[in-house]
This record gives sequence, structure tokens and C-alpha cells, in this order.
Amino acid sequence: MNQREKEEYLHDYAIMKSQGKPFFPYAVAKDAVMACVVMAVIITLSLVFGDELGSKVNAATTSYDARPDWYFFFLFDILRIIRTPSIIQLATIGIPTLCMILLFLLPFYDRGPERRPERRPLATTAGIVTICLMAYLTYQGAHAGTPDALEFATPKAVIENGPAAVEKWNEGRLAIAQSGCEACHTIGDNGNPGPGPNLTHIASRLPETAIARTLVNPTQPMPSYKNLPAKKFNAIVDFLSQLK
Amino acid sequence: MPKLPAPPLPAPLKTPPPLPGQGNGEAGPLEDAKQAGITVVDWVDERTSLSGAARWLMFRKVPKGTNWFYTLGSATMFAFLNQVVTGVFLAMYYRPEPAGGAYESVRYITNEVFLGQFVRGMHKWGSSVMVVLVFLHMGRTFFFGAYKYPRELNWVIGVVLLILTMVMAFTGYLLPFDQRAFWATTVGVNINGTGPLIGPYLSDFLYGGTEFNATTLSRFYAIHMLIVPGLIAALIGAHLYLVAKLGTTAPPWQKLHKRHELIETEV
Amino acid sequence: MADKRAQQRSKYTLDRGIPGAFEGETITRRRFMTGTAHGAGAVAAAAFTLPALGFAIGPVFKSTPHRWEVVGTVDEFPDNNYVPVVLTLVPDIGEAGKTTAYVRKFNPALDTDPYDKGTPYIAISDRCVHLGCPVRWVDASERFVCPCHGGVYDILGERVSGPPVRPLDRFYSRVTGEDVELGPRFSVNSKLRRFSPRLPGEPLDGIGQYLYPSTPGAKKL
Repeated sequence: MNQREKEEYLHDYAIMKSQGKPFFPYAVAKDAVMACVVMAVIITLSLVFGDELGSKVNAATTSYDARPDWYFFFLFDILRIIRTPSIIQLATIGIPTLCMILLFLLPFYDRGPERRPERRPLATTAGIVTICLMAYLTYQGAHAGTPDALEFATPKAVIENGPAAVEKWNEGRLAIAQSGCEACHTIGDNGNPGPGPNLTHIASRLPETAIARTLVNPTQPMPSYKNLPAKKFNAIVDFLSQLK
Repeated sequence: MPKLPAPPLPAPLKTPPPLPGQGNGEAGPLEDAKQAGITVVDWVDERTSLSGAARWLMFRKVPKGTNWFYTLGSATMFAFLNQVVTGVFLAMYYRPEPAGGAYESVRYITNEVFLGQFVRGMHKWGSSVMVVLVFLHMGRTFFFGAYKYPRELNWVIGVVLLILTMVMAFTGYLLPFDQRAFWATTVGVNINGTGPLIGPYLSDFLYGGTEFNATTLSRFYAIHMLIVPGLIAALIGAHLYLVAKLGTTAPPWQKLHKRHELIETEV
Repeated sequence: MADKRAQQRSKYTLDRGIPGAFEGETITRRRFMTGTAHGAGAVAAAAFTLPALGFAIGPVFKSTPHRWEVVGTVDEFPDNNYVPVVLTLVPDIGEAGKTTAYVRKFNPALDTDPYDKGTPYIAISDRCVHLGCPVRWVDASERFVCPCHGGVYDILGERVSGPPVRPLDRFYSRVTGEDVELGPRFSVNSKLRRFSPRLPGEPLDGIGQYLYPSTPGAKKL
């Protein structure tokens, strides 16, 4: 904005203001109604959900999945996305600090006189992209699974084979979750991406015998599962060979 | 102010003038009370001249076309007031003792205190509502281009308020001292620790030592209920002053009626 | 215009003809009073700000004494699998001051690293070195798995995948009679070289150990 545009804005704004209505009571009435809405929402949430209090602090826990409150899910998910050790500082402080600086300096690098969103395509697009990104990260953060459980829809083929097959499938699902497979493999929406291969469709690449052989005699750095109890081992092999 | 003409009411509805002999010049108790109120206000105003400031703040003009989006700022402030009031009352019962007192006192608020669960729920959910409102208010300012000249400084203050709100949200959930509180704080402090050179010192400062210890909880308590709320209140004051001084923005689509250019001087 | 005035005004009070001026004097009464206002105000403000600040950052420079804690007897720990034990890091704050260590006996076949020689027991801290979440030992896959951001470590505590910047921290161990005792925590770099304890998220390889110095509160052993 140059000097002429600044003066033009001030001039136009002064006229618009002079044509306006007094703040009290016209704007205040709306504000007061909005305040009632805000309080209604807070009170409803308080009455419906109450004040949850988790279990007492136990700093020696070995089974707690630490998660933040919902409004920090987007930051939490950035930490899950950037998983290269040499650049974790980017996720912890780099990106948040950069975003804050960009936000602080917004009026100093976006100095055009135009104020209508449809005539500021760059700014409007950037704003919408940011909102979508934060919504996506929040959603992803909210659905971060625990490494102790495996969420996987039972395939149709298993359901068709009757309740015994479904039970066996669930047994295998539990065995996989307890055996730490998700530490290195992705299975559906669960687990870490690597260093092991994605197992979501492993049965279409490897037959059942090959899966069993790999579990006993894996390539480094995967450990051998030959010491697992036979029941658990068979359940895992059975489960994996259904993942078409 | 010019006196408005009396409304054209039909004769029976008009208040009849007092008849001679009735209410003979002596005021009733109602008028006395009214008169006393006016006297007190006048007395204060004579010594403070506050009425000018109030008139400047409340009777300033707001451009036409301001809609419900323009209530988000005051709604955020209202959510903050809710947090202040419920927070003060929660502080009457809360004890920042990590050895068990903190958790027990929160459990006591929830289970024993009359309306305890309700008030703590209002504080807890009020924080979520305030975070949402802050972001909505910022979105409105962004898409309406309201951060542009001459309101740049107000945008900067707003970003500081956003950060302080997030700091409040973060320091707040250590206080119930349940599992989530402890581990989220551990992760939060360690995030600060990943800054090169000053990071390790910053973490030790937040912990008040090298590990989570007896003073960490009271440290977060002081930050949550004294330092940051004080800053937020002061900055809301500055934010509001600038809004009143520079005026509420007109919606970007608002048309200017040039014919009024002649009466520009009345601004 | 301003330049011209500056040229005309000499910095000596004598040259400017101020009454009562001394030879070589440069400070006028107004300058002196302005200086006093700023100086005395700053001193008064510093008088409460600095002590309060020092009070708040004081604990950063205070180190806590080392503690050794008995966690079990020598025959409780096998040399190929970990046994979780609960340790007290900070006394007097109840459950919040505790932590878990995974302990196993020194195994010459596994612990081939020269830095581990002479360590009777390997005791691994359960705090993930990414950001401090509690990791769990999964026996079947011989991995430490972090539930938060996807950190995975092998049986030596070295990173397998995910964001951890160094191997898991360890505790010093010693045997007194029949008892296994664990002492203070220490951090290791990717070659298992020992460093005074760091917080999670602080790499120790290469330049990392200088970018993330050990803080004054962390006492060396």
C-alpha cells in the first residue's frame, strides 16, 4: 500500500463509519446474543461430558499411550510424520516457529490494498490450504493407534468360513498386536512405515509356507520368531496368509 | 442532543399530567432512588471524567454491514472471562502437590464439592471453546483482510494472544495430575529441550531442576493462573483500545455511498 | 537545518554561555535530571526484577545427589531378556518421581561394545529418547516400542526405526553382596559411548554433544 492508497482507505473508511450505527446498542446486542450462545455451548458440553479425570499419575507405567488434548493433535501428528532422527528439530520447534513468524509478519509482507477474499486468490488459497492441513493433521493425530492393538476389518472370505474362522482370525490379530510386529511393519492403518515391508497384502506376494519360513528365518534386522509358542506362531501365520 | 418529538399516541394512552393536589411536587421513593443514582454517577464522573471514555468506547459508530462474524472477538473475550471466573473458584479447592494432593484435590472437586463437576467441566470445556473461537476470530480477520493498514499492530497483538491461549491450554492440563497430564507435560518440556544450545537450559527452567520434581507442578500452576492470565488481560486491553481507536472494519464487500461524501466533516 | 544547529551547539556548557558553567563541563542540569530519571528508575525496577528472575532460574544450577537403589537379587535377571523394575528418580513426590528400568545380566555375546565391558547388568531407561514417552519391551520381537511417535529400539536400546536421536538411556549398575543396585542415569551415543544424562530429543553424535550441552544440574559420575 502506498501513501495514496492509505489515504484513500482512511477517507473511505471515515465515510463508511459516519454512515454506520452506534456500537451500543446495535453491535453490543449481537455480541450479547453471541455470548449467550457461547455460554450455552460451554454449559452443554460441561453437562454432557462432565470433567473427565484420568487415572492417577504413574510415571513407571509400561503400558500408557501418551496423547495430548485434541487441540494439540495437529502438532502431535507433525511429530509422527517427521520420523528422520536428524531433522526432528524441524518438527518439534522448526515448523511451529516458522509458522508463528509467518503469522506475526503477515501484515508486513501482505501489503496490497485489496481486502476482498475473492480478489486475493493467493492469500485466500493459502488460508484454505492451512485450514485443510490443520484439519487433516488433527484427524490423523486423533486416530493414531497404539502399537499394542491391531485394528483391521475382518475380510469377507474369513466371515464366509464361519465363526470358527473369525475366531481364529481374531486370535491371530491379537497375537500380532502382542508380538510387536507393528514396530516395523504397516498393517492396514496400523504400525510404522518401515524398516520392514508393508504387510497389508502380504498373502498376495507370499504363500503361507513362505510366511512361516520367513518368521523362523528372517533377514536381518528382523528377529526370529521361532521361540514363540506354537499356538501363537500358527495364529500369526494364519492371519498373515489371509491378508490378500 | 436534540429532543425527539413526542410519539403521536392516542389520547387515552398518554400519561395524564398530575392533577393539582396529587403528588404535590414531592417525589416518591422511586424518584428519590433514581435521583440518588444519578447523583452518585455525577459525583464519580465529576472527579474521573469517565463518561467521556465510556461514550467514546460505546457510542462510536460501526460501519454498516457488520454481521455475526464480527461477534467472534467479543465471544472469545467472553470465553476468557468464563475461564477467569471458574478458574478463580477452582483455585479455592486446588492444591498443587505432586505427591498426591493435586490429584486428590481435583477428585474432591469432582466428587464432593457442590457443583464441582459442573464448574470444572465449564473450565475444561471453556478452554476448548476459547481455542476454537480464537481460531475462528483469526480466520475472520484473515479472510476479510482486516489485518491490513492501519490495523497491523492489532494483528500482531492478536497473534501474541493466540500463542498465550495455547500456552494456557498446555499448562492447564498438567494441573489435574492424571496420566495424560504427566506425560503430555513430559513431552511438552522435552519439545522445548530440542532447541539447540538453549534448549537444555529451557527444559531445566520449566522443570525447576533436571527431572520432574516437587516444584514443577507449582511452577506450572503459577504460570497458568498468574503470569499468563495477567498478560492476556493486559493484551486484551491493548487489543480493544486499538479496535476502538481504529474502528471496526467494514466487510470487504461493503459498498461506499459516494453521495455522503459531502457530510464527511461530521466524522 | 538540524545539522546547522548541531554545529552551532557546542557540547561544553561554557561555550554555550550557560550561567555557572565550568571549564570542560558538558552536563547541563536538564541532562543530569533526565539521566537520573532513567537511571534511578532502571535501578528500582531491576531491584525487584533481578532477584525474582534469579529465584525462578535458581534450580537450574542446583544438582541433586546420586542415589543407588536395590532393585533385586543377582539371580532375578536373565542375560537374554529384560525384567522391568521400578526405580525412584526423585524422592518425596510419590508415583510422579518413579520410572521403569529394563534390566538384564551382561551378556558377552550381545554386549560386544568396548564401552560396556565391566558392566555387571544392563539397565535401560523406559523414557523414549525422542520426547520422553514410556517405551515397552516386547519380548517376542525383541524390540522396545514407543507408543507415541513410532520410535523402535533393538535389544541393546539402539534405534531401529522412527525418530529417536540416540540409543535409549541407561542406568549405572553394581552388585553389592547378592543385591543388584542401580545408580544414576547416563546417556549414550550411537557407539554406546557414555555421556552425562541428557533430556530426550538431544542427539549426541558429532556436533550434537556440543549443541546440547549437559546442564549444570546434571552431576557427572
